[in-house]
Amino acid sequence: MRLGGEQVGRWGIALLAVTGIVGLLLAWHGWTGRAATVAPSLAGKAAPGGHASGTPGAAAPASSPASASSSPAASPAPTASGQPTAGPLLSSEPYASASFQVWPGSPSAAAKQALTGLTVTVHKQGTGLLVTAGVIGQAAGSPHLYAGGARVYVIEASLGDDSGNADYNLGDDGLVVTDTHGRIVQ
Amino acid sequence: MSGTGGRASGSPAATGQPGPLVPGPGATPQQRAAALASEWAPVAGRILLALVLAWFGYHELVRPALWTGYVPVVAPTSTAAVVAVLAHGWVLLMLAVALAAGIATRIAALLAAAVLLEIIISLTVTAGLSDLTMRDVGVLGLAVCLTGLSHQRLALRR
Repeated sequence: MRLGGEQVGRWGIALLAVTGIVGLLLAWHGWTGRAATVAPSLAGKAAPGGHASGTPGAAAPASSPASASSSPAASPAPTASGQPTAGPLLSSEPYASASFQVWPGSPSAAAKQALTGLTVTVHKQGTGLLVTAGVIGQAAGSPHLYAGGARVYVIEASLGDDSGNADYNLGDDGLVVTDTHGRIVQ
Repeated sequence: MSGTGGRASGSPAATGQPGPLVPGPGATPQQRAAALASEWAPVAGRILLALVLAWFGYHELVRPALWTGYVPVVAPTSTAAVVAVLAHGWVLLMLAVALAAGIATRIAALLAAAVLLEIIISLTVTAGLSDLTMRDVGVLGLAVCLTGLSHQRLALRR
């Protein structure tokens, strides 16, 4: 068989066929597991096409501050998580290795890179933390009160998508707040 | 896998295609090195490009949600974005295997170049030129080079 002027033999066709089937199986695996995102994603805060300016997209999972309703108002009212609910340990989550502490203290170099393209501001409020997360170039998100929160982490599964002050892919970014025991505040 | 070398029957010379340099007995070390490079450098380029495509293809297939942010126009959380990433990953995996095994190398390299060009245009339109985009331009150059392969070793021809 000739393909674009090049000879392709039986073994070549067989190898491509097997690869195609394996690819379909992997795609099925990816499709069925698509809901299990690596972390509470910030992707929902981004305009379609990544970090380009635009209106915020759909709401992100509930544990993310992205779930707070976005508003163009200058001082949006903070949303609160109500009673502190201790979730699982961050260290037990699959994205633990991709988490970078950004508060309290000075973020590490890796944390600063993970923050590329994002803005995260944290204020202590009572026994909790008031966290505002957003994407550079877009309207700031609403602050969210995490009762019992003690530490703030940015999740960045791949640092390779950060360049300059832009994050090309917000699909692998997230934000997590934990209590003093390292449990994720819901 | 089968390799071709020298000027034996079935070699590029027999098919009218330019073949590798074959240094004579009196060749200098530089000539021998040049002959070795012309013989094997395209294989290295082919396999290294295949590795890049396979890595991205595999990860796009198994964790599509991490890549939907790159899909232009549609929302990253949409089903369309996931489907686009899965299709993209499948194509990358096929191209990777074709390049690594030397199956229709020039066509595979041409398709890889087209895919890379699409990625570069998409990234540039979305966020302008950056170090990431320029790195992809280099990989595009490698794919373009491989479209000109007329003789190659370690290629599955049967």
